[in-house]
Amino acid sequence: MTLPPVDVVVVGAGAAGGIVAEQLSLAGFQVALLERGPRLQFDQTGHDELRSQRTTVLGNAFGPDDQHYVREVLGSGGKAQKVLPSEGAYNNIAACVGGGTMSYGAMAWRYMPQDFRMRSTYGAPPGSSLEDWPIAYSDLEPYYTRAEWEIGISGKAGAHPFEPPRGKPYPMPPLPFNQEATLLAQAARRLGWHPFPIPMAINSVEYQGRPACIACPHCVGFACEVNAKNSTAVTAIPRALATGHCSLRIGCVARRIVVDAPAEARSVEYFQNNQLYVQPARAVVVSCSATESARLLLNSSEKRFPRGLGNRYDWVGRNLQGHAYAGAYGLFDQLVFDGLGPAARIACCDFSHELPGGLKGGAMMANEFIRLPYLFSRQVLPPGVPRWGREHKNFVRTYYKRSIGIKAPVQEMPVFESRVELSPDLTDSWGIPTLRLSGHRHSHDLEVARFIAAKCEAWLKAAGAVRTWITLPGSGLSGGQHQAGTCRMGGDPKTSVVDRYCRVHDMDNLYVIDGSVHVNNGGFNPSLTIQALAYWASAKMVKDLRKA
Amino acid sequence: MLDRRSFTLALAAAPLYAGPLVWLASDDAALIEAIADQIVPADDAPGALAAGVVYYIDKQLAGPLQRFQETYRTSIPLFRAACRERTGREFTALPFAERTAFLRSIEDGRSPLAAFFAMVVDHTMQGYYGSPEHGGNRDEASWKMLQIEDVMGGHQH
Repeated sequence: MTLPPVDVVVVGAGAAGGIVAEQLSLAGFQVALLERGPRLQFDQTGHDELRSQRTTVLGNAFGPDDQHYVREVLGSGGKAQKVLPSEGAYNNIAACVGGGTMSYGAMAWRYMPQDFRMRSTYGAPPGSSLEDWPIAYSDLEPYYTRAEWEIGISGKAGAHPFEPPRGKPYPMPPLPFNQEATLLAQAARRLGWHPFPIPMAINSVEYQGRPACIACPHCVGFACEVNAKNSTAVTAIPRALATGHCSLRIGCVARRIVVDAPAEARSVEYFQNNQLYVQPARAVVVSCSATESARLLLNSSEKRFPRGLGNRYDWVGRNLQGHAYAGAYGLFDQLVFDGLGPAARIACCDFSHELPGGLKGGAMMANEFIRLPYLFSRQVLPPGVPRWGREHKNFVRTYYKRSIGIKAPVQEMPVFESRVELSPDLTDSWGIPTLRLSGHRHSHDLEVARFIAAKCEAWLKAAGAVRTWITLPGSGLSGGQHQAGTCRMGGDPKTSVVDRYCRVHDMDNLYVIDGSVHVNNGGFNPSLTIQALAYWASAKMVKDLRKA
Repeated sequence: MLDRRSFTLALAAAPLYAGPLVWLASDDAALIEAIADQIVPADDAPGALAAGVVYYIDKQLAGPLQRFQETYRTSIPLFRAACRERTGREFTALPFAERTAFLRSIEDGRSPLAAFFAMVVDHTMQGYYGSPEHGGNRDEASWKMLQIEDVMGGHQH
């Protein structure tokens, strides 16, 4: 069924799509915002560890579900293996209104100026497609500020010497330190480091009519029961709907983008309740996350674009990356757990850049969010402690409240071979070709991770941990909740997919706006950068649509 | 005496773990229960047996974990046979320490039962430490042991 035309179709109501829909509808354009998942209320997802975004052993409360979706992963032996959304190898983010921002921990980081100039700063290591962004931190700065004020971020401006320049302070004061953060702050200062409160998309005071955080510990992996966590589902998207110009359509699974004139996207085909709809539009925005945005472009191939849209030079789906998490755990004699959430409250950026020994990039280091009991029982085990039995049980009960984790998202060196392709034969339940993931991390990531993990461990020792051990990332492909890079932004159409305003190079009116466009992913959680880019790209789209 | 909250929870939890079994045969359930009892033994806090972990495994194998049914179906007879061969007795008839010794012997990656046992360990931890709504962690046994029953969401798990 062909629907009446709109100005813009936005595919994906997540971190970026929600903002694009908001900005375009506030400017008076008619927007259709398509979301494959549902619009969830807290009561539907609750605080169930086994169905959270973190532990999906019984399914993912934030979608997608195992019944309709499947992917394949190419193993090292070249054999493709089917994976379901509830399995880690699927590299899922979410499928619901708000996308990953419904269940994220809500750290709200700006990348640093060097993160936009990685190749110039460090040079690319062999085997990496490391490149500079076509935009600088200074280009994006006003949009970071805008994202902080519109989404609602609590934090302390000027709290550490590595903070990049900012146009305005945060709109809300930081959440106060909890017990872990107080202990770790003293330790970091003793080491000569510069600890500070993590900027969070969580209300420390009432903001935009929603309440302050009630300090329950269920931030990461869950929706917020009082809506003090600032997903796009409670910020940008309601504002978009309030304009009367935005139609949010849930349960809509995009099949392909239809190209009409030589270089114009004309419509989006999607399924809703197994009925096929065609939504014509003046412009199309793809905001489905790095894996799914690439899939949609590849699935939209046709005569003039036989390898998929934007893929003339084979860059769509390439450079899939996330973060190479390094970290350490420490055990303490005394109780260090006060149950106050978000547990992650303190960070150091002393090792985000300019590491010794020719290491490129680095990572922000922060104390970990709550480790729920099942994950604790499986993952927080030092070498030598049995995985089961009396001794294991004793370990869990003794140290559940006497342990601290430090985690650090190490910046990855992009690898051209790490990628999203279409599966040759596997489809989702709508018959749409699903995607195949393959690739590996660059070996340099592991070198940086070892350096950073040692710093995490040193931090815990300085805080008085009686036993510590490090955790290192594996060498397999990366993506997951921080997935990025598959539709790289660049000045040269031969080596990138979109231009500096997120428009697909060889198309007049097709945009990719999400983490896909990241040239690299910084040493930070990516959501605020995705959102700043959404404001940046939307501002240009509004101008262009007004001209047209 | 139960306080109001515990009383409410006891009422709410009762039908979740009381069975009947929905997928496992009862003798297989007895075996899984005996293995789970080794994985999280009782001490002054309830273990997997008292926490009803086998009901978690049974219920979820008929639901979100059904892709593991085949592994349980094929591995349980192998487990039994291996135990008889090694010890001369059924696993459930062995004293506690001998059960432990047998499980240690199959834990090694070279044993064909290693992957199955690792799966039962994982499912047992889920059932013991996860939310009671899924059939295990009866009366929030593990959360009480960890003294986190209040921060685990209280009325809304």
